[in-house]
Amino acid sequence: MKIQQMAFMLMAVFFFFVLVGLFFLGISFRGVEDSAQQLQREQALSSLEVIADMPELNFNSVTSMALDEDKLRVMSGNLSEDYANFWPVASIKAYKIYPKPESFVKCPAVDCNYFEVYDSGQTNVQEYSAYVSICKKVRESGYTYDKCEAGKLVLGVIDVDG
Amino acid sequence: MLTDRGQQEMVGFILIVVIVMIGLMVFLIISLRTSPEKLDSLEVGNMLNAIMMHTTDCAIPAIPYYETFEDLFKSCYENDDCAGVNRPACEYLNETLREILADLMDTEATVSAYQMDILVAGDEGQEGLLRIFEGNCTGTALGAQRKISAGAEDLIIQLRICKGED
Repeated sequence: MKIQQMAFMLMAVFFFFVLVGLFFLGISFRGVEDSAQQLQREQALSSLEVIADMPELNFNSVTSMALDEDKLRVMSGNLSEDYANFWPVASIKAYKIYPKPESFVKCPAVDCNYFEVYDSGQTNVQEYSAYVSICKKVRESGYTYDKCEAGKLVLGVIDVDG
Repeated sequence: MLTDRGQQEMVGFILIVVIVMIGLMVFLIISLRTSPEKLDSLEVGNMLNAIMMHTTDCAIPAIPYYETFEDLFKSCYENDDCAGVNRPACEYLNETLREILADLMDTEATVSAYQMDILVAGDEGQEGLLRIFEGNCTGTALGAQRKISAGAEDLIIQLRICKGED
């Protein structure tokens, strides 16, 4: 009888601690998924920085995350196909976001604000974006200055999960 | 005798439960305490850089010496006036900074709130020069800050955003 009681007591204590352990683990791992997603985003942003700082797109080779508008125009024009094997991603797009455009006009065109530098045509693509400055040299009243506008660089990478 | 042992076991069991409960409470208090906000987010840092590099229509001292937002923060601190828009730098900064922040945040579907602070950091601590706040913060808070020199003092530009679920 006493052994039965002891066994019952031990099982109760065991289950109690199992429940406490599960509760503890639940709380500990609550933020792990969020942290993993945040890390993935930061990693994607680092890749975006590598592309933005390539001499083919970078504004003055000094400022990070600044794209040259003139280079963007050239690269999104006739050179787009020549560089098809150069880019390590599925697509590269850039657009101006301030002042907020009523519609996106693809370059090359008058008052365009959207540059499609490269598009492999692949459909299973995951897009990542980062804020950049889109800059150009402007000459006004005999003075040359850098005019920069806020924009976004969007990279497409093949979605291995999809 | 049997009742005594039963009582002892009960007391022992209750003691274990109480000790475990106290341990859990301590753990919960530690884990639920709000973690200090990180001001080194790469995402927000890029956003802040893009804003600071943006060329405005405010020219100081005259057209075509247009200022970037970074220059405009200093001009506001120095109470300069903008040529071209014919307004005080602070007034123009307040208006255009709100516009650019709103337009940038419009491109982010998950941003629930944002706050930008421009602080003057001197020997006697920090003093607020301008604050822009919009929204209702839910989700994760991310932030970034930049320091720029303005004469003898420093200006600290802080941007915080709250991101909800994707």
